[in-house]
Amino acid sequence: MVLKIFFPQCCNKADSGLLVGRWIPGQNSAVVLAVIHYPFIPGQVKQYIHQMRGQSGVDLTVLGSWSMPKEGQEGMESFLRDLSTIFPQGQWLQLSREMGKIGFRCEGEKGGEKDKVIFIHYEQRKVMLSQLHPIENGVPDPQTESQLPQVFGTVCQSEPLFFLDKYDDSPVKLTHWQSEGREGSIIVELMKQASTPVCLLTTWILTLSSVCLPRILNVRPMRFISSKLSTCVQLSYRTEHLQTVSSPTRATTHNHFMRKANIFVSFFVDVSLGLLLVSWMYRENRIGKLANTLVPAADHIAKELEELLQWLMGAPAGLKMNRALDQVLGRFFLYHIHLWISYIHLMSPFVEMILWYVGLSACLGLTFALSLLSDITALLTFHIYCFYVYGARLYCMTVYGLSSLWRLFRGKKWNVLRQRVDSCSYDLDQLFIGTLLFTILLFLLPTTALYYLVFTLLRLVVVMFQGVVHLSVDFINSFPLFSMGLRLFRSYRLAEGVKFRVLCEEPGTPLHLMMDINPLKVSRVVQTYRTPTYSCYPKDSWLALCKKLFLGELIYPWRYKTTKID
Amino acid sequence: MGADSGSGAAPGPAVPWRKVLWERQPFPDNYVDRRFLEELRRNEGLRQYRYWAVVQEAGLVAQQISCVALFLTLWLYMEQGLLSPSTLLWTGLLCALLGYGLYQALAPRGDSDNHHRTRWSDLQSASIFLSFTFGFSPILRTLTESICTDTVYAMTALMLLAHLVAFPYAQLSPPGSLSLNAALFASVCLASRLPGDLHTSGGLDSSSSPSSLHTFTMLCWALLVFALWPCLLQRLRDRAPWVFGCVCALVGVCGVGGLGSLWPGGAVLLAALLGTVTLLCPLLLIRLQSDKDNIQGPWDEAEIREDLTRFLH
Repeated sequence: MVLKIFFPQCCNKADSGLLVGRWIPGQNSAVVLAVIHYPFIPGQVKQYIHQMRGQSGVDLTVLGSWSMPKEGQEGMESFLRDLSTIFPQGQWLQLSREMGKIGFRCEGEKGGEKDKVIFIHYEQRKVMLSQLHPIENGVPDPQTESQLPQVFGTVCQSEPLFFLDKYDDSPVKLTHWQSEGREGSIIVELMKQASTPVCLLTTWILTLSSVCLPRILNVRPMRFISSKLSTCVQLSYRTEHLQTVSSPTRATTHNHFMRKANIFVSFFVDVSLGLLLVSWMYRENRIGKLANTLVPAADHIAKELEELLQWLMGAPAGLKMNRALDQVLGRFFLYHIHLWISYIHLMSPFVEMILWYVGLSACLGLTFALSLLSDITALLTFHIYCFYVYGARLYCMTVYGLSSLWRLFRGKKWNVLRQRVDSCSYDLDQLFIGTLLFTILLFLLPTTALYYLVFTLLRLVVVMFQGVVHLSVDFINSFPLFSMGLRLFRSYRLAEGVKFRVLCEEPGTPLHLMMDINPLKVSRVVQTYRTPTYSCYPKDSWLALCKKLFLGELIYPWRYKTTKID
Repeated sequence: MGADSGSGAAPGPAVPWRKVLWERQPFPDNYVDRRFLEELRRNEGLRQYRYWAVVQEAGLVAQQISCVALFLTLWLYMEQGLLSPSTLLWTGLLCALLGYGLYQALAPRGDSDNHHRTRWSDLQSASIFLSFTFGFSPILRTLTESICTDTVYAMTALMLLAHLVAFPYAQLSPPGSLSLNAALFASVCLASRLPGDLHTSGGLDSSSSPSSLHTFTMLCWALLVFALWPCLLQRLRDRAPWVFGCVCALVGVCGVGGLGSLWPGGAVLLAALLGTVTLLCPLLLIRLQSDKDNIQGPWDEAEIREDLTRFLH
């Protein structure tokens, strides 16, 4: 069996002493965490290790001895060998290194057998901060699968061990990654201190608003409107986010921490972009200009629709329309447009003021501005939606009537119980009236179909635009900016696996490998750390959508999916 | 089994060959003996037709063809303005009443109770027909306005052909759905092509739309000819078969005569068609029976000839 020893790079030049670490059970490998230097008292060392074991929860032991003799320190070998009797252990490692040589030597005594030894060097600080993401697919190798997570987990959990250093004034002097120079940032520390009162304040505000708002929003019409307007949906969604971020408890798991960080960064970016937009829009009274172009734009749309209807009432594209029905439908829709335009003109004095105040809400974020845009589009094109519903209903009735009467024409009927077409003997009057209706519906079909087609196309254009806006809102909401930044600038924090590099391979000395962290692929980063949103995605496949359009059923192509945040 | 002997070569008659599959026999799989095709039966169940019986049955087909011709004649009369719709309407009403009286007179004895009920339901049906037809006439008269005349004529021809093909010649009384519907569809198409009154058509229209009365008349006559007349015929066939034959002949003559008054060439064609259908086709049928060559044998699908009604009780 091959003995694998994970050795931190920072201890390569450490003075002689004891190796502290952990044996990984069942894998015949050991992780070295630190080196305790001379002079030490064995009793104090044992007490310290016992204390550390309790604090960190890691099964720390003294693994063996490390000797790197300098001038004036000969004769250590025998001393180190005698230490094995003091500390109780299953296997005692004796590592030694000579100045000027790269390779180590290891003498491990285990029943006299000379095992083959591999030294795997790792960068302790990086491994401590990194988070291992197991690969889902692929054949997992049972031997390496549990080994790497255990190594990473051991280093990560042994943080209390790294508080004391060899420069501290304590009975036990350790060498580990902190010996290379302590690192810490003032800004991070200040933010950590400031975060607690800010979190408490935000939580208080949110609980206050969550008490008041449901009273208002639970009235039936308000609830219906608020479920239809995407701004309200986005508002509720952001409130939820804020609640997650501002909870005063610290994040326990890595996933939870990443989610909080992602939400916070995306919120920050969103609000800053929103403020930028607001400052640009309000600067030269651009919002006033926008409001002034809104009513003429609505007028223009209405005029275009009127022209379209006049074209349909004539002989559009040379199609054979039934004149009477054509006139009826055309006049009906023209009257509708007339009503709509009157309504818009009624509202026009108030438009600028409403837009000014509503535009201020874009301070809450760019996503709010986009949701507002989507809502304003929906309100302005409400008449197109109405026309689409009328046309679709009429067409749907025509198609269903025709299919049923076509079955009557052939002498069959639909068996609802058996879900199939059966023959049926009809009465004389049923046949007569059925045939008359069939003839009428058949000859009126081109007219209704054309109106349906035209209004469906218009509706689809509006829906596509709204869909694009919603997709971009969704993107801003769910993209994990913090994880992406981490992946780009501190790629060792998100690890997919490790790769090994040969450092020194000489006959006679054990093999030395360098373990480098393999960072997670960018696509996996996005996939793993995406904030689950109310993403809107197409409800039907293309085939089902075409079938619905053909039959005249009303389509709602985007469906909001509510996901629970786990 | 039998692989060493060549195909078709029969071993000696030591073991007789049996027509079974489950037993290994020293014969090849495709061996047949001299009893091959013994059970073949030719032209079993061949019916012997008698000429005049077939002619009588074919008379019904000819009758239906001439019905269609009569209907078309009426339409031609209205289109050329030779008959006014109101005259035709009253004639139709009269014919309907006469036919109804005849229908009731020929009713089978012994259900007088049924009579009252059916008279009331008949009245209901009639009022439904009339009201619906009158109600839909304004819609129906402008239905095919924008479709060109050739298309309308083609559709009509197709539908009338479908009517003739799908007509239930065996059992006339419950009318066949497809035939009746096709005939009504054709009549609606034709009705929308009638010339209208001078009052109703617009000044600058190229095609004048018919008035509601034209459409209504057309549809009433279609109903009479295609829906109610076969019911009466069925009654006649049941109760007085020799009268039925005379009636068929009469209808044929009327059809030819009616068409002849407007289009003599058409009348000649119609007479030829009727003669072919009634006299020539049965002759062909009987002559060609001798060329029949059906084979039946034990390889046919099994037919259950037993009377299974005993299981119903």
